[in-house]
Amino acid sequence: MSTPEHTATSPEQGDSGFQRELIDFISGSVALADDPIDAETDLLLTGLVDSLGVVMIVGWIEAELGAAIDPADVVLENFQTVGQMVAFAATLAPNAAGPA
Amino acid sequence: MTTGASDPAAIESLAQLVDVARLGGGASPLPQVDPGAEALTDGTRSLTWAELIDEVARSAATLVDVGVAPGDRVAVHLTKSVESFVAVHAVVRAGGVMVPLDPLAPSAHLANVLVDAGAVVLITDARSSALQALFAEEGVAGQVTAVVRPRADQPIPLGPGVVEVLADAIAGSAAAPRVRTGPNDAAYIIYTSGSTGRPKGIVHTNASALAYAIGAASAYGLRADDRLANIAPLHFDQSTFELYAGPVAGACTIVVPDPILRFPASLSAFVEAHRATVWYSVPYLIGQLSTRGALNERDLSSLRWVLFGGESFPPGQLAAVMRQLPAARFSNVYGPAEVNQCTALNLDDPPGGDQAVSIGRAWEWADVRIVDGHDSGTSDEGSQAPGSDRVEVSDVDTGEPGELLVRSATLMQGYWNRPDLTARSIVRLTDADGRWYRTGDLVARRPDGDLDFLGRIDNQIKLRGHRIELEAVDAALRDLDGVAAATAVVDRPEGAEHRLVALIVADAPPLDRRRVLSELARRLPRYAVPAEVIAVAGLPRTATGKVDRNAAHDLLSQPADS
Repeated sequence: MSTPEHTATSPEQGDSGFQRELIDFISGSVALADDPIDAETDLLLTGLVDSLGVVMIVGWIEAELGAAIDPADVVLENFQTVGQMVAFAATLAPNAAGPA
Repeated sequence: MTTGASDPAAIESLAQLVDVARLGGGASPLPQVDPGAEALTDGTRSLTWAELIDEVARSAATLVDVGVAPGDRVAVHLTKSVESFVAVHAVVRAGGVMVPLDPLAPSAHLANVLVDAGAVVLITDARSSALQALFAEEGVAGQVTAVVRPRADQPIPLGPGVVEVLADAIAGSAAAPRVRTGPNDAAYIIYTSGSTGRPKGIVHTNASALAYAIGAASAYGLRADDRLANIAPLHFDQSTFELYAGPVAGACTIVVPDPILRFPASLSAFVEAHRATVWYSVPYLIGQLSTRGALNERDLSSLRWVLFGGESFPPGQLAAVMRQLPAARFSNVYGPAEVNQCTALNLDDPPGGDQAVSIGRAWEWADVRIVDGHDSGTSDEGSQAPGSDRVEVSDVDTGEPGELLVRSATLMQGYWNRPDLTARSIVRLTDADGRWYRTGDLVARRPDGDLDFLGRIDNQIKLRGHRIELEAVDAALRDLDGVAAATAVVDRPEGAEHRLVALIVADAPPLDRRRVLSELARRLPRYAVPAEVIAVAGLPRTATGKVDRNAAHDLLSQPADS
């Protein structure tokens, strides 16, 4: 799994950058089919993302933001759509050391 | 048998499980259920016993209306929900043979199964694009004449010969009496992947299904106040525990929707919120619950039984989760889908050490033998006695590996339309009565009588003259610290020596290969230690959640992760 080589785009500031990259990552490396994905696509009901995919997305967000995600927060409500993931990511505090 | 039951022998059909006779009046041989008690929920909808019985009856009437005749195969292609549980029982009530399909399988595979089974009706919640793709597959359009879509309200064009029944049309049907079927009538067909491309359907009758359901309800002391979490999908035979054994006791079924299964932290919350008392799944999900399920923030003390099966459970992981769930008893359930269950090991204390967890011993409703015949490494054990169709086998000594044979009322009728396969798998013996199923599994008996599952006879390989059970290597890999999942495969490069390769998913990458190899050298004979350890991001799994070793083998030709 490749890590982007630029500074992380914050999910709050013009969420469109972070969201776009997240959609690109999911479409390119995670999704199990070629269906188009937008912020409202239900990724789970459609079977586009399986449990391994969830793990990959969590890892991508952690690497992108230099933040650690509590396993207790890896719940359906935070990961069903890209929109939910972006909203959840905005609540994460980055590590003092910055992005990984 | 649970209190209130009269005579299990008087039960001739699965259709009697969810039937108005259960509501009282002494009309059912099964325990009475409280009409107002919760019978079924999926977190979104909830049905009392009276509501469930009524909805099943209405759905069954719909099926009869669209032409389901006794013995017709009806495919159920639904994601897990209240509607999927209802659909299964509706098919049974209508006298049909229930054929569950994997809701996530590609249309080509689904078409194979549909055509093999000769299903005439399809109950599905697939999206319209997926449904149209399915009907474009060869053989489907000419054979399937009705599609029932319990969660859809918009029709889609499927072709001139296909009747479509939408959600509101199902709710409108009047209740009707059940179509009577007998003990020896087929009730459902479970398709397994098998090692070749051709689908293999395991046919269970009312008799074999009820023998399992009644046996399991008794073995686990199921009661009307139990709440069984339905985790397995319909096409995985573990689901028969919740579908049939639960209703025998009048217990409530909590259907766990698939999206929740992908989030261990959501799964633990769901189990807690619905106060599940019995859990049954593959070890992998229990392990995920243990490591990612935030169990320290949940109260799962409602669980009194945790059943697992389908794969081996690394003893270290099992011990860890048993300490996290001290109120529950754990049971290792073993049994090929052909017999549903045949042995169990009930654990009260966490296993110590790293010896593989035993599969226990034959449960009350099965007899087992461990036999030797031709030592050919294929499933051709035993020799034909001349002039008869009975097979001669000899029991192996304690500690010696042999093929497990099972005799049980829970045994399938046979493989669907595969009389050749059935004749090879179910045999009569020269020195015992009854039908014996050749499991193709290698097993050995310990001095105390408990059994060890050693692996599939087919997975026993020979490397440089040494016999190796791939499952034994798997077990050693999975028991290592820091390993989330693993499997051993045989690399057979062109013109080079065969070698054993381990594919490992690490809990926290990067994987320390040297540590892994040195720990394996401690646990395995030298010839069984893999020649190479490759870290991978994940392992392909079959439709039932078990690691797919054949598909994993394909990872060898892809560039390795660092």
